[in-house]
Amino acid sequence: MKAILGKTCLAVLTSAAIGVSASAQAAEDCPLPGNLRVVIGSTSTGGDTYQVSSMVVDQLAEQLDINAKVDAVGVMPGFQALERSRHGNTIMIFHDGSYLGHLYGVNGYPDIFSKFVVGPTIAINPGNAYLVPKSSPYQSMSDIIEAAGNGKQVKVAIQPGGVSEIGFTALKNAVRMQYPGKESNIVAVNTGSQADKNQLLFDGAVDVINGSVQANEQYTQLPADDQKAMRFVWITAREKTIAQTNEEGMGDTTREQLLQYVTPNASVPMSEDQDFTFDKEFFLLYNKDMDPAAIDCIDNALADVYEGDELQEQLKRSFFVPDYKPTQEAASYLEEKNDEYKTIISDLKG
Amino acid sequence: MDILSHLTPMFFGLIAAGTLIGIIFGAIPGMTATMAVAVCLPLTYAFGLENGIALLLGLYVGGISGGMVPAVLINIPGTPSSITTTFDGYPMAKRGEGERALKIGIVASVFGGLFSAAVLFFFAPVLADFAIKFSYVEKFLIILLALTVIASLCSNMLMGVFSGVLGVWLSLIGTYSITEGGNGETRLMFDFMEYYLIDGFSLLPVLIGIFGLTTVLLDAEKGFKDETGQGPISLKGGAKFKFNVFKGQLLNLVRSSSIGTFVGILPGVGGSAASVLAYSQEKNFSRDSSQMGKGAPQGIVSSESSNNALTGGALVPLLSLGIPGDSTTAILIGAFTLQGIQVGPLFIGNNIDTWYLMIIALLAANVLMFGIMYFAIRHIAKVIEVPKYILYPLIIMMCVVGAYAINYGIMFDVWTLLIFGIFGWVAHKIGLETVPLIIGFILGKSAEVYFVKSIESYGNLSIFFTKSPIAMFLWVLIAISLAFAIYLRLRNRRQPTVES
Repeated sequence: MKAILGKTCLAVLTSAAIGVSASAQAAEDCPLPGNLRVVIGSTSTGGDTYQVSSMVVDQLAEQLDINAKVDAVGVMPGFQALERSRHGNTIMIFHDGSYLGHLYGVNGYPDIFSKFVVGPTIAINPGNAYLVPKSSPYQSMSDIIEAAGNGKQVKVAIQPGGVSEIGFTALKNAVRMQYPGKESNIVAVNTGSQADKNQLLFDGAVDVINGSVQANEQYTQLPADDQKAMRFVWITAREKTIAQTNEEGMGDTTREQLLQYVTPNASVPMSEDQDFTFDKEFFLLYNKDMDPAAIDCIDNALADVYEGDELQEQLKRSFFVPDYKPTQEAASYLEEKNDEYKTIISDLKG
Repeated sequence: MDILSHLTPMFFGLIAAGTLIGIIFGAIPGMTATMAVAVCLPLTYAFGLENGIALLLGLYVGGISGGMVPAVLINIPGTPSSITTTFDGYPMAKRGEGERALKIGIVASVFGGLFSAAVLFFFAPVLADFAIKFSYVEKFLIILLALTVIASLCSNMLMGVFSGVLGVWLSLIGTYSITEGGNGETRLMFDFMEYYLIDGFSLLPVLIGIFGLTTVLLDAEKGFKDETGQGPISLKGGAKFKFNVFKGQLLNLVRSSSIGTFVGILPGVGGSAASVLAYSQEKNFSRDSSQMGKGAPQGIVSSESSNNALTGGALVPLLSLGIPGDSTTAILIGAFTLQGIQVGPLFIGNNIDTWYLMIIALLAANVLMFGIMYFAIRHIAKVIEVPKYILYPLIIMMCVVGAYAINYGIMFDVWTLLIFGIFGWVAHKIGLETVPLIIGFILGKSAEVYFVKSIESYGNLSIFFTKSPIAMFLWVLIAISLAFAIYLRLRNRRQPTVES
């Protein structure tokens, strides 16, 4: 009995020693904690941020052989948690809203480029869209711009200060360019969730709403006499982004049909020779003091994950476009994007 | 038929496991059905959609039902929607009828749950079309109607109304959030508070602070020695549970379940408004409501049937419009999106098997909840026989853990719990009424958003009276509700005079 007990103890100790030395080796290579908390800038677990984060974090955790958990804490608690986590126990996943909030001057939104380390991009949600009721007289964005230019007030339901507002700003800017002084005819009706935006359209209180291909596509399949029936007029993503989605598109709307609502078919001019486009991109954010070796480690692990097909297919099945850029490339790319939108927003402010 | 292949022991096992875990989450102060669903959401990856949904619906039904346990036994609403259960449940527990109160709540819960599941099955698309007739204006009026309960519940009208307004004021502290269409500016605080209060005070820590910690502090002040009369509450001595307690309660059950289902259908109005509305309507319209608030079974019936009816109701907009009806279904929608399934107006038609399985899961969860709780409750109810000097530290510990966990580890939520615990104690001393205060706090933020958005969308105040026949009807209900409350108050004031 004693011998059995002794052998068992020895085996346990040996495995523990192997485990400790293996994790010590891993820790040396990759100074990440065994338990990684990933906060996201949304409190919704039904939204795109949670969806994309879950997919990517699961694969990342498997690749790094660590535990990782996505917490839907919301924007401000997310930034605060990130600020406190100097040792890399907490990282954040968010999208362009993180810097757009700052550009729009929303209270509490820091300049992420100076306050945090902007990490790798992971995916694009190409579904940011604008819709009108099926019975609307507006058949295209050109109709809306022209109507506003001719003095008609066009009400657009958006959630202010972020991704939802940037398309609205672009629309207003397009009216300003084609019909100077008439941009005030594009009126924002600030609201919250997608449900609230839809409701305003059902009530006839607005002419256009910001929505998404994922959330609103089924409404576009309803018969025209249904109060809930809608029609896409604009998808803000780049043509080449939509072209990367699966051929079957989303629901009953094929990729070919979706391309009808993307520039150049649906045009919202940003300058004389360029249309406005906006891809909603998701990326990681790190604490400013995070160990660069840990950042490299996540970069490398993600690069390996994206080399395989599994995550890419999983993302595409849910109408995301895989979009991995390592930290350095992603940071400069997103900063350029930030500057571009900064110009449009400040031009409109005059 | 393909659907039969999904009805496996695993499917029903997950419903049972979900219901049991949900009951435990609901029964622990500070843990909610929403939290239970959120914690188990990633498991739906492993189980697949059908089995994952079975688990989550079990958690949802169990979590809402479990909330009645601490509400009755220790006067702490396990979930915000069981706040009105404390009004009559705890007084019953204090007179030795804890088990009876819980059994009344369980039967009412299963009735509400099955009622709303039936409504969901037969009328979902029709009701979804009706729900979209409710714009910001109508939703504001529903909240206003729920607020009229303050007039019925307070013991001193002036102090009650003041407390209610104070509750509304407290709910507005923080940011007028851009996610609600606001301007993102903070208000009602100093700059140095911004870091902590940017999102305002969280509901649950406030709730368990005012209800739980305040009770502990008030009892601690008196001392816990048996000779002070503050010993453990006995389970013996009170009336026993008999099904004939439901005699004459059919109207209450149907009305409260209908209110719960209906409020669930309206996205954003919330479960607390459902139970508050159902309670106030029972108080105003029942033949004899004089005992409500003092330990009347009818109060528990209205509260529990309405909050469980919310489960089926909240699934109506989720499955017919792709819009979650409450905070828990907002997480439930994640189970679909994680599997890449679109939820919208075509969901039921496109996923008929999933739809039937959800109905079966909802029915099974309610039946299992009844089975688990009805027979286990005798043992659970014994918790109140534990001496308070042992029970209260455990309650405080659970409250602190719950408050810390509710927003995924925000320490300020623990401070909120303590601040409002002490505030509740002070309120008792100076005569503030905590129930109207908490109702004001729960409903205040929604009232503000719907009021401001109504004005922004439609331009003037007259819209509240002229928007639609539904708005006018709601004004009539508000007027009747207020008139009844005032009439009852005058009658009660006159009665002792006549008797004397």
